[in-house]
Amino acid sequence: MKNSTDAAFILKDVNLSFGSVPILSNVNLSIQERGVTSIIGPSGSGKTTLLRTLNRLNDALPSFQCTGSVLFRGQSIYTNGTGPIDVPRLRQHIGMVMQKPCLFPTTIYKNVVFGLKRLQLKPRSDFSSIVEETLQAVSLWDEVKDRLHRPANDLSQGQQQRLAFARALACEPTALLLDEPTASLDPQSTQAIETLIQELGTRMPVILVTHRLEQAKRLSETVIFLSEGCVCEWGGVDDMFACPSEEKTQQYLAGHTL
Amino acid sequence: MIAARRRTVMGTLLHIFVGVMTIVSVTLLVSIVAMMVAKGATALTWEFVSQPSKSFGAEGGIRSQILGTLLLTLGAGFVSLPLALGTALYQTEYLAQRLKAVSMRFIYALNGVPTILFGLFGYMVFGIYLGLGVSWLSGVLILAMMILPTMIVSIREAIEAIPARYREAGLALGMTQAQLIRAVIVPQSLAGIITGMLLGLARATGETAAIMFTATTFSGVDLPQAINEPVTTLQTHILLLSQEAIHSSATDAVWGAALMLMVLVFCFSLGAFVVRSRLRFAA
Repeated sequence: MKNSTDAAFILKDVNLSFGSVPILSNVNLSIQERGVTSIIGPSGSGKTTLLRTLNRLNDALPSFQCTGSVLFRGQSIYTNGTGPIDVPRLRQHIGMVMQKPCLFPTTIYKNVVFGLKRLQLKPRSDFSSIVEETLQAVSLWDEVKDRLHRPANDLSQGQQQRLAFARALACEPTALLLDEPTASLDPQSTQAIETLIQELGTRMPVILVTHRLEQAKRLSETVIFLSEGCVCEWGGVDDMFACPSEEKTQQYLAGHTL
Repeated sequence: MIAARRRTVMGTLLHIFVGVMTIVSVTLLVSIVAMMVAKGATALTWEFVSQPSKSFGAEGGIRSQILGTLLLTLGAGFVSLPLALGTALYQTEYLAQRLKAVSMRFIYALNGVPTILFGLFGYMVFGIYLGLGVSWLSGVLILAMMILPTMIVSIREAIEAIPARYREAGLALGMTQAQLIRAVIVPQSLAGIITGMLLGLARATGETAAIMFTATTFSGVDLPQAINEPVTTLQTHILLLSQEAIHSSATDAVWGAALMLMVLVFCFSLGAFVVRSRLRFAA
């Protein structure tokens, strides 16, 4: 287990539930300031719920409850003794890309600046350069530079997902949550996204939910394994895949469904 | 074997029953439309539509009545749209789940209130208590109240049909609820909002009872020069002319006015259908 001196997120005694149905219990872990942390585990083990807890996106779901302490850079994001938490501002800092590229039915350009424009983060005169920079960062600029004002939904699935990354990155997040971002992509698009994730991991904490163990192994520095309503094991990727300490982890990594 | 045969017979009988019921229903509706067209088409000339009525409607056209109906209807739409949109947004975005269900039951109940009661309420409150009298403004206000439930339900359904992932995409970018409403919810439910408004207008166009108390006079009125003057409408014109049915010219005019009213309602309904089809949110 790692120490939490250089942690972006620290979770202490966290319990997550929907009404009376517990999802995860007694979660204690920390996520480092740099690098990719993968969350793996069987379907229904609470991977996405844990991820969405980190930017409080579960708040929109009825009956969601979170107890314990979730700290982002030392600040509690659920309870605050000094006043209400500014959740929208928290989410501006923690970007997120969903499993399916959810683009708004408008142009490529307007999708990239969607958050920027509404949140008034930058002057409009900067938008063009931001669009170019972010589309270059996600390796999409060369493919779309001549059709920025065409509908975003005309792009392929892989391009749409990279555009979703660009939209998130345009708001300059300082941490990134990724919920199976390559689940519905072809190998070529997956490779492009994985390269991007690795590059982003050198600059900020990237937390990746994935079903693909090979992907977790390729991209991550740290792996969190969830099973049966708790964090079964977490630690460095090499240790986890080479010699997992828990039997459940060994079985899962060996290809068994727990 | 016998049970299987019985199921087959029951299935066939049910099929025949629902088929006959459908034919009866459609025949009744088509008959009404066919009768309107057959009897009204001859009267519905450009002169009839473009000239004001004379001799208490027995002669001349229905220009004032068409414009009066449109003035009332569009005025009601103008008043009720922001109210309906605000209510629907409050219900879907801010109200707790339990209160949402209670408020919706109330709205549905309001939708079932007989329109004559709206008229009576409007007459008492707007006409007498607020001193607006029988006027265009009273009619607009009471029609706006009357079509409000229809519009709220339609707009709310459009908002609730927005896929959750669009809300989440907005929230994940750090938008506040107000920014989400402005940037995501209203634009994405625009087709439903317009559809709801048009359906409300269609209902207002056909309404007679409520405006008889509050807005219209049966004769001697042209277009109102101010909002506190009464208007004349196709609905009340039809009522007036049908009581003059012994005159053949009045009989022709009543069918012409009826067909015109049906065309107006049909235009709003068709508009709602077209908007819903063309602007439907690509989920």
